[in-house]
Amino acid sequence: MQSLLLQMMEGTITSLRIFFLTLIFSLPLGFVVAKGRMSRIAPVRWIVDLYIQIMRGTPLILQLIFFYFAPFYLFGASYDRFTACILAFVINYSAYFSEIYRSGLQSIDRGQYEAAKVLGFSKAYTFFHIILPQVVKKVLPALGNEVITLVKDTALAQTIGVAELFRVAQTASSREFSTVPIFIAGIFYFVMNYIVSRLFAIGERKLGYYR
Amino acid sequence: MIRLSGLRKSFAGIEILKDISFTLDAGNVLSIIGPSGSGKSTTLRIITQLEKADDGSLEIAGHTLFSSVGGKAVYASPDEERRIGLKTGLVFQSFNLFPHFSVLRNIMEAQRAVLRRSKEEAEDKAMQLLRKMGIEDKAKQYPYQLSGGQQQRVSIARALALDPEVLFFDEPTSALDPELTREILKVIRELAEERMTMVVVTHEMHFARAISDWAIFMDKGVIVEEGRPDDLFGDPKEERTRKFIASFDD
Repeated sequence: MQSLLLQMMEGTITSLRIFFLTLIFSLPLGFVVAKGRMSRIAPVRWIVDLYIQIMRGTPLILQLIFFYFAPFYLFGASYDRFTACILAFVINYSAYFSEIYRSGLQSIDRGQYEAAKVLGFSKAYTFFHIILPQVVKKVLPALGNEVITLVKDTALAQTIGVAELFRVAQTASSREFSTVPIFIAGIFYFVMNYIVSRLFAIGERKLGYYR
Repeated sequence: MIRLSGLRKSFAGIEILKDISFTLDAGNVLSIIGPSGSGKSTTLRIITQLEKADDGSLEIAGHTLFSSVGGKAVYASPDEERRIGLKTGLVFQSFNLFPHFSVLRNIMEAQRAVLRRSKEEAEDKAMQLLRKMGIEDKAKQYPYQLSGGQQQRVSIARALALDPEVLFFDEPTSALDPELTREILKVIRELAEERMTMVVVTHEMHFARAISDWAIFMDKGVIVEEGRPDDLFGDPKEERTRKFIASFDD
C-alpha cells in the first residue's frame, strides 16, 4: 500500500508538471493568439481563426498523438514524449485561453482606451496598467473553469505513454486486480481541483474591490 | 491658442466635417452648439488626437499638429504629436474614469507615468484639485461608489492635473440629471472665471451663453453661424440657428 501511494505521488508530480508548464506557456500565449484573432490584417485573422477552430474542433487526445508521432513520420526524427505532451497541451490550451481573453478584451469600453490616449499613456502602459487588470477581473471565472478542466485533461497524457497519475493508477490497478488505485487517483484529482477552485475564489474576491 | 482652418473629415465616404475653421485666444471660452450628428464632437476628437483629420491645418499654443499640403492633412512627428497632446485635455460625456483605480490614483496615474512627477508632488496636486472640486473626502473611494456628478468632477480633476493649456469638454453633462448637471456647470463656470482656456460642446444653452466669449453653431458638418454669445443666442442671423435655439425654449 505504501509503495502504491509513493508511486501515485510520483505520478501526481508528473501531472502537476504538465499542469504548471502548460499554464506558464499558454496563459501569456493566449493573449498573443487573442490579439491575432482581433488583428486588423485579414489573413492573420483567418489563419489564427483556423488554428483555433482546429484546436477546439478535434479531440485533445488526437492532438497529443499527432504531436508525438508527426515529427517521426514527417522528418524521421522523434523526441521525448514529455516534450510532445507539453507542446500539444500548450498549443491546445492557448487556443481556449485566447477565446476567453478575446471576450474580456472586447468587453472593455472604448472610452478606456480614449481616456488613456488623451492622458498621454503609451500603448504598452495602457495595455498593462489600464486594460489588462480589467480584463483579468472579467475573465477570471471563465479562466477558472478552463484551468479545472486542465487538471483533469492531464490524464490524457498517458495516451502517448507519459507516466502521469492516471496511468500509474491504471497500471497498479491491473497489477493488483483491484479498482482501488483508480478511486484513490480520483481523490487526488478532486483535492487538486478543490485547491484550484479555492484559489480562483480568493482571486475573484481580491478583485471584487471595484465594479 | 488654437488656430484651426479648413478642417475636413469623412467617415466611409460621408463628409462629416466640411471646411471648419475657428480661432481661440488664451483665456477665452468657446462654446460649440448644434444638433447631434453636426460634427461638434468629431471636431473636438480631431483636436485632441482621437481621430485624424483628412485635410486642414491646426496650430495649438504655437505648435503645428497638422497642416494642409496638397489637399491633405500632414501630421507632425509622433514626438511632436505627443507634446501637443499634453497641452490639451479632454473631458468626456461618459467620464471614462479607470474603475480599478481609486479616485486619488485616477488623478495621480498620468502625472506619475507621463509627466514623471514624484509621488508626493502628484498626490499634492491631486488633493488640491479634489479640494477645488469639493470632493476631497472621496479620494480613497472607487469610481463606482460616486454619483455621476462626482465622477465627472474627478474626470475634470484628472484632466487638470496635467496642467493642460486648453481644456475640451465633450457634452460633459449629457449623462447627468438636472441637479448633477448644475454641479458640473458650476465647476466649469469657476474655471472660466480663472481664465482657463476652454472649448465646450454642450446642449446647455443658457450656460453656454453665460460662460463663453465666442459661440459657434454647427449643423451638418459646417459652421452655420458664429459670434458673441449675446448675438448668437439673443439675435441669431440664420434661420437654422434661430430654429435650433428656439427648440430649447419650452
